[in-house]
Amino acid sequence: MTTVQARAAGPGRLGQLRAASPIIPFVVLLLIWAGIVAIFEPRTTTLPPIQRIANTAWSMISDGSLWTNILASLERLVYGAITGVVTGVVLGVIAGLNRRVAKFFEPLIMFFSGLSGIVWIPLAIAWLGIGRAMVIFVIWNSVFFLVFSNTMLGVQLVPRVLEDGVQTLGASRWHTILHVTIPGALPNMMAGIRAGLGFGWRALIAAELVGASSGLGHMIYSASQYLRSDIIITGCIVIGLMGMTLDRLVLHRLEMRTIARWGMVSDE
Amino acid sequence: MAQVQEGRQAALPAALETERPKGTTSFGSASLGRLKEAARILAPFGVLAVIWWVIKASFDISDNVLVSPWAVITATVELVRVGILTDFIGLSIQRLGGATLIAVFTAVPIGIVLGLNKNVATAFEPFFRFLQNVSGIAWLPLAVVWYGLSNTTILLVIIYTLTLPLGFNTMLGIKTVPPRYAQMCNSLGASRLRVLRDVYIPGALPNIIVGFRLGIGYGWRALIAGEMLAAQGGLGDMIFQARTANLIDQIMAGMIVIGCLYLVMDRLILQPIEDVTVGRWGVLRS
Repeated sequence: MTTVQARAAGPGRLGQLRAASPIIPFVVLLLIWAGIVAIFEPRTTTLPPIQRIANTAWSMISDGSLWTNILASLERLVYGAITGVVTGVVLGVIAGLNRRVAKFFEPLIMFFSGLSGIVWIPLAIAWLGIGRAMVIFVIWNSVFFLVFSNTMLGVQLVPRVLEDGVQTLGASRWHTILHVTIPGALPNMMAGIRAGLGFGWRALIAAELVGASSGLGHMIYSASQYLRSDIIITGCIVIGLMGMTLDRLVLHRLEMRTIARWGMVSDE
Repeated sequence: MAQVQEGRQAALPAALETERPKGTTSFGSASLGRLKEAARILAPFGVLAVIWWVIKASFDISDNVLVSPWAVITATVELVRVGILTDFIGLSIQRLGGATLIAVFTAVPIGIVLGLNKNVATAFEPFFRFLQNVSGIAWLPLAVVWYGLSNTTILLVIIYTLTLPLGFNTMLGIKTVPPRYAQMCNSLGASRLRVLRDVYIPGALPNIIVGFRLGIGYGWRALIAGEMLAAQGGLGDMIFQARTANLIDQIMAGMIVIGCLYLVMDRLILQPIEDVTVGRWGVLRS
């Protein structure tokens, strides 16, 4: 729950109602869906009834195919995102520290940031063929540029005064970087990581749509070849839930433990 | 607020932009300044082109993997001459423009309505977040089932991708306008419409702009992905088809065009809008 929701969810019945209110739009959506199915009786290939989705989901869970696809996608995401974050942070710090170099390469970075991820798919397929390597590359691409530019910006924004101050007290350059520059750049780094992962998640799905033989993106794409809308909708729901979980459980927690705890950003 | 932050950070490298050289009175030094600025921007690309050319020349890389910069230039010229490039650029921009219009006129009103009531806005936040995580691209297969490989499919997906961040941020923006401003206007006798026009909308404008910029960032990528899949012409289709024929020079030419277009869109159109509003007024925190 965001802090706003926690505050709104006060004591008593009204507070409880407010806390539960996020469910309402979903419920309304389900009701509308059920209504459309009941009134218009669309083909199951166009809009399957909710029951069908539930059945399909259940069968995919029980025969393990859903899990296999989730794992395949997650594996690629983890590889791509971790390499992206690590390379982005390391190179971003290095670039940010050397201001003249950073200034020089700025236009290049900006150009590639707009190009990141999905646009690389054809070239990545030409280089790496379809499959895991290509997807991981595309994810890395999406995550890297965002993390890199935000880290570089964060490092550049650390007030000179703080670095100089620590150095007048005798700190070595390395010490300054570790204890002043990097913590100072942390809010921007975290924001970059969060945004980068958002784009990376989308790039994962897009890359799997066109160039993989397993994973969630591939699952929903091949389902469309057979007009299995029920599989597609199940897949989309899973994708949405996973994306949300990734953001809330992983990134939000990380932010809470680091920058929010140290009072560097106002939380939501 | 993460949404808004995301928008600013994803749009980010804007903040890296240096100050433009101060205007001078002499015509000569002003254009020299602009020339210097242009050179500064083009220099790193020149370095990259040189490194690229050296790698291609020295490592005996097949044309199926990497082509020389010159080959890309000739490919671009050829594509323009034949008319494909201009046609496809027009097509892609048309789709994005059309989708943007529809998205703005749907998302902003809905966002305003939802944002006016704080409880409703809070209730809808996770809903929007969920839908946004099912990115428009994930809905592509369903759109293909509904409308086949057609222009409608692509448009639908872009509209979805644009509407969500825009609507969400509009809602957030309206929600964070302190009620006392509205109350003050009410106490002075303003009608509801007046309060909406003079208090809520200006107050939410920074958030709306940020949401718009975020939406365009996502939407542009959804456009390319949709075009790759639906094969109805457009830049995404061009680079995807080129891959099937292993025309690396065409792929790279297309990628460069896409990158330049995005830059033009973002820097020349969106960023100035953002500078004038968000940059000046700041973004309200909830």
